[in-house]
Amino acid sequence: MSAILIVLRPLALINTFLLRIGRHAAWIAMGLMVLIIMLQVVFRYVFNNALAWPDEASRFLMLWMTGLIAPSAYRWGGFVAIDMLKDLLPLRLGSLLGMLLLLISLVVLVYGFQLGLNHVKSGWLFNSSSLKLPLDFLGLGLVRVKLAWMYMSLPAGLLLMTFVNIELCLKSVAHLIDPQADLPEDHDRVLVAVE
Amino acid sequence: MLFFFLPLFLVFLMIGLPVFFGMLAAPGLLLWLNGQERDIALLYRNVYTGMDSFPLMAIPFFMLAGELMNRGGITMRIVEFSQALIGHLKGGLAHVNILSSMLFAGLSGSAVADVSALGSMLIPAMEKNGYTRKFAAAVTAASSVIGPIIPPSGIMIIYAYVMGESVAALFLAGIVPGVLVGVGLMIVVAFLAKRNDFPPASRRATWPEKGQASLKAFFPLMTPVIILGGILGGIFTPTEASAVAAVYAFVVALFILKTMGWADLPKVLTKAAMTTSVVLLLVGAAMAFKTVVSLSHAPEIMAGFILGLTDEPLLLLFLINLLLFVVGMFLDAGPAIIILAPILAPIFTELGVHPVHFAIIMSVNLTVGLATPPMGLVLFVTSSVSGEKVETIAKAILPFLAVEILVIFLITYVPQISLFMPQLFGFAK
Repeated sequence: MSAILIVLRPLALINTFLLRIGRHAAWIAMGLMVLIIMLQVVFRYVFNNALAWPDEASRFLMLWMTGLIAPSAYRWGGFVAIDMLKDLLPLRLGSLLGMLLLLISLVVLVYGFQLGLNHVKSGWLFNSSSLKLPLDFLGLGLVRVKLAWMYMSLPAGLLLMTFVNIELCLKSVAHLIDPQADLPEDHDRVLVAVE
Repeated sequence: MLFFFLPLFLVFLMIGLPVFFGMLAAPGLLLWLNGQERDIALLYRNVYTGMDSFPLMAIPFFMLAGELMNRGGITMRIVEFSQALIGHLKGGLAHVNILSSMLFAGLSGSAVADVSALGSMLIPAMEKNGYTRKFAAAVTAASSVIGPIIPPSGIMIIYAYVMGESVAALFLAGIVPGVLVGVGLMIVVAFLAKRNDFPPASRRATWPEKGQASLKAFFPLMTPVIILGGILGGIFTPTEASAVAAVYAFVVALFILKTMGWADLPKVLTKAAMTTSVVLLLVGAAMAFKTVVSLSHAPEIMAGFILGLTDEPLLLLFLINLLLFVVGMFLDAGPAIIILAPILAPIFTELGVHPVHFAIIMSVNLTVGLATPPMGLVLFVTSSVSGEKVETIAKAILPFLAVEILVIFLITYVPQISLFMPQLFGFAK
């Protein structure tokens, strides 16, 4: 039991810290998305000039927003599931089922992360069609953004979710051993409701 | 062989695996067993490209707009406006609750936003006015399902994206059904009010008072005009319209009503981002799932099975409504649409049901499912807003559910209810 707690406590702390950063990045990304789309509308109607980049830039932000904040939703039980069976089963059996579900999810996450890395690797070969960075001050001129930077959002999210999943696994093992155990909690937790 | 991913997925779902993981694990496992590892990489890419979409961005923006309206106290003005109009009727506050839901539905695209905005205000007010708490909670829950039926609507954006339909057509098609649900609920209230002698909320408002309330509600009520007008007039894409709605709500709350400050902004943005992320991952998984669905010939096999039962379209539509209703009891509307639309819609359009009509049948049926036990998100949220037990609300909501089921059948058997508006504006043939 104490061995579990030795791993669990720092992991939970790291997750709390990383996910907090992720949430901050995500709300900023969300705000920027709105601004960029408004800019697009204003340029089209006021300056009669349809910009090329807002479409891609806002999608870039949306993907990263998702990758960075979805792990928080996962940690707080916001992923839609029918969890009636677990509640119907006796406590221990329910916890065992919960662990099985976490392990299936873990396989998906790890496999997905690996596929994600391959995907990112292929992304270094392609330039974005409209996103360019003016790196003149470095003497690099106008540099086209590689698609890999966009592709990275999903594996980043999957990696963070893997951390969360391991934390949840450890918690459920600890809970199986001692239902009264004092487990680390996330005090930022809010209700996530998806219809 | 590959067809078995559907039963496997069902098993995963029933034992409580989150839908997102189930949609990937079931086809993934079978592809792996089949030795088609390259197709698993394809599965991953489809998740990514499924999420990487400009039209989908309307979802976070509409969520943001609803969240901003909610925090910005815009709800209050809508309720006051409804009260000035119909508060003097017998059962006034119950009517006000329903009318406010219909108006709020034009600002937000979600039932949960509707419940949390209106419930926290109207349930206590109704209790003070002499209603039982369970009745107040039931009216709130039942009327909140209008939120995603009257545009804008989160689940219709999802449906349009997953099935390649026009958002504008679905938005327009939802208007009349949404109003029908509202009117149906009001008839139930009128009936109950007569029997139980419910009180009016206030005396009849004078014309100057009505004018005052309309003036105060003017800015919030302009939102649906901007959204729909903008989309239908070809001024904005739905995504742009949703961003405009979010900015508009922000400006109204911050500068005109002054009910919100800059400091509230991060919280509001975070909340919208969080819900969006879950929906986006689901949509991504759904797009991957959908490719396997077509690879496995599941729609053909399912169609064969369903058509083996009967080939009478009217009877089939009845059965499908039954199926959707049962699914809606266990699954929330968005995920249910994501899973079922790719499987069911092709079968029915093949039989001659208009795609927009079928979209509305599915959306309305599954949205009503948000308020049915045992798993109904709206019931849960209403319970936490009102402090009343889920079971108690579930019982009190029954007469309202009965009317909603009636409306579902009306919509099913009278296609014109859904198709009239989109055809009028030329968004559907």
